[in-house]
Amino acid sequence: MRRTLLVLLVVAAVAHARLHALPPGLPNRPDSLKLAVIGDNGTGEQPEYDIAARMVEAHTTFPFDLVLMLGDNMYGSQQPADFVKKFERPYERLLKDGVRFYATLGNHDRQENRFYAPFNMDGQRYYTYTRKNVRFFVLDSNFLDPPQVAWLESALKAATEDWKICYFHHPLYSDGGRHGSEVDLRVRLEPLFVKYGVNVVLSGHDHIYERLTPQNGIVYFVSGAAGQLRKGNVKRSAMTAASFDQDQSFMLIEIAGPDLFFEAVSRTGATVDSGVIRSGTTP
Amino acid sequence: MIRALRFAVDHYLVVPFGVAIGLVWANTWSESYFRMSQAGSFAINNIGMAFVLAYLMQEAVEAMLPGGTLHPWRRAMLPIVAAAGGLIGSAVVYQVYVISLADEPVLAVGWPIVCAVDIALSFLVAKSIFRHNPAAVTFVLMLTIATDAAGLWLISRRYPSRDVYPLALTFVIAAIAGAIWLRRAHVRSFWPYLLIAGTVSWWACFWGGVHPALALLPIVPFLQHSARKLDPVADHAHGRHQSGGHFEYVFRYPVQVVMFLFGLLNGGVLVRGFGAGTWAVLTAAVVGRPLGILIAVGLAVLAGLQLPHRLGWRDMVVIAMAASSGFTFALFFSTAVFPVGPTLIQVEMGALATVAGALLAAAAARLLHVGRFATSEAR
Repeated sequence: MRRTLLVLLVVAAVAHARLHALPPGLPNRPDSLKLAVIGDNGTGEQPEYDIAARMVEAHTTFPFDLVLMLGDNMYGSQQPADFVKKFERPYERLLKDGVRFYATLGNHDRQENRFYAPFNMDGQRYYTYTRKNVRFFVLDSNFLDPPQVAWLESALKAATEDWKICYFHHPLYSDGGRHGSEVDLRVRLEPLFVKYGVNVVLSGHDHIYERLTPQNGIVYFVSGAAGQLRKGNVKRSAMTAASFDQDQSFMLIEIAGPDLFFEAVSRTGATVDSGVIRSGTTP
Repeated sequence: MIRALRFAVDHYLVVPFGVAIGLVWANTWSESYFRMSQAGSFAINNIGMAFVLAYLMQEAVEAMLPGGTLHPWRRAMLPIVAAAGGLIGSAVVYQVYVISLADEPVLAVGWPIVCAVDIALSFLVAKSIFRHNPAAVTFVLMLTIATDAAGLWLISRRYPSRDVYPLALTFVIAAIAGAIWLRRAHVRSFWPYLLIAGTVSWWACFWGGVHPALALLPIVPFLQHSARKLDPVADHAHGRHQSGGHFEYVFRYPVQVVMFLFGLLNGGVLVRGFGAGTWAVLTAAVVGRPLGILIAVGLAVLAGLQLPHRLGWRDMVVIAMAASSGFTFALFFSTAVFPVGPTLIQVEMGALATVAGALLAAAAARLLHVGRFATSEAR
């Protein structure tokens, strides 16, 4: 009797722990596309490791296949040992589990880093790839030269997937007090996004988490606090839908048919924002 | 209207006026400003600036003719050495700043930006300080022209173009050959040179991956010339220069309109856009270049060259500071090196901030009792 009670208690504890680890805002459907998003992470310091630990915990119940890296994947020295300290060690568990990271370059990244195999950039500054019904467009916002803009237009035009998600380092919209919106980039990129039906745009650079109210039908996220943090830096405005600037954070996203579920998770594992975007509608 | 324009031209107010409007506009109605600037930047930065550079080239060529300010070439030896020192000094300081202090490798390719000196602003500063010492003013002119010539060469292949066809550059040779043929045919009007040879050269540069604003530079030496005093700010056309066949005479005011638009389109930067690139450009210009100039001149003097008559080391310090403002040229170089984006804004802010070099030159002159600040004892 006592043994049965003990077993039941252990089972209940494990079940509680797993339920607790399951992100509450995500349906976790078996056939959906699951991914995580990190930005401005590559410090090699404890907060980056803490966020990585939360990602590993989330992965046990929410088995995401890929991680989008929004730039500033490496700060400071970028020698081979730094790639171990600032990337391979913190995300070791995920890498071993076969999770693939797809990076864009930030202003602190060396251009040569696009040849680093685990970033899956194949030596390209800008590239596109597809998973299920989603096409991702990865841009280099450091050098938005005419060939890149021309490439983006042709890639967007050719895309037939239900979801078009674009990510790059510098945010077109942001209420971050340090950098804010990159209006010059916005003037060049947003007309293309609108014309070709981009649904979601993700950026970093400002070391905060922010979800903007939809702009011209597009949902913009700033997620640049997976290693760095600029505490209290959000200057809320009419375009702020949700924000978090008190601790490091990362995002989890699940795309199931016409629905995109998202959740922003803090360093302590708390959900700081969540919601759903339906293709063609606003959250 | 013409009088107001002439006043603005004579006091080098056209570009700052455009920049000031751009700054206010960009920081109040950002989206409309950037829409306007991106729509107009190709025409102004790539076509309009070709005429501005050709205009400056025309003045430099004429000043090097017998009877011109910069004649004979040998006089330019020490300023050329100083320019080389300034280039090295500014580039080294820029790279050290970017790599060691800034942790922004993305800026590393931007070092040619600091190889720019605003010829007109430096000239104005020098002329204002060295009122009674034309040797100092001439030295500054030679130094700035040599610096910008090297800088233009450095940025020529860094134009963020579309697909590049290097073979297209062979048409530049064809354009030069055309200009030579026109010269031999005694064609005195500059229009055939610009419209035929210039157009071929522009297309060749554009498709060859060279900044097309440089396209008229190889054509200008074949236009008709006559020796002149070199004053890029307020030397009104006169004598043989005052003729409808003279490029400088016809383009004097159109070029100012282009300069205004250039300042307007490129000077509007978001004030919060400052960053490591801003400090890198500023430090390289106001610290690196003067240091490089002084070290190079010091080495040249040790090697046997002599300082020009009536110029001492204190004058040389002020000259080095006077040549530290990149301003218009640094803005132009910035647009040649970086495409639209936050990195460009950072370095453009640095380019604007180098105007501080003019103030530092005046402060140095006052401190060292140089030029107009010289005490009777120092004179």
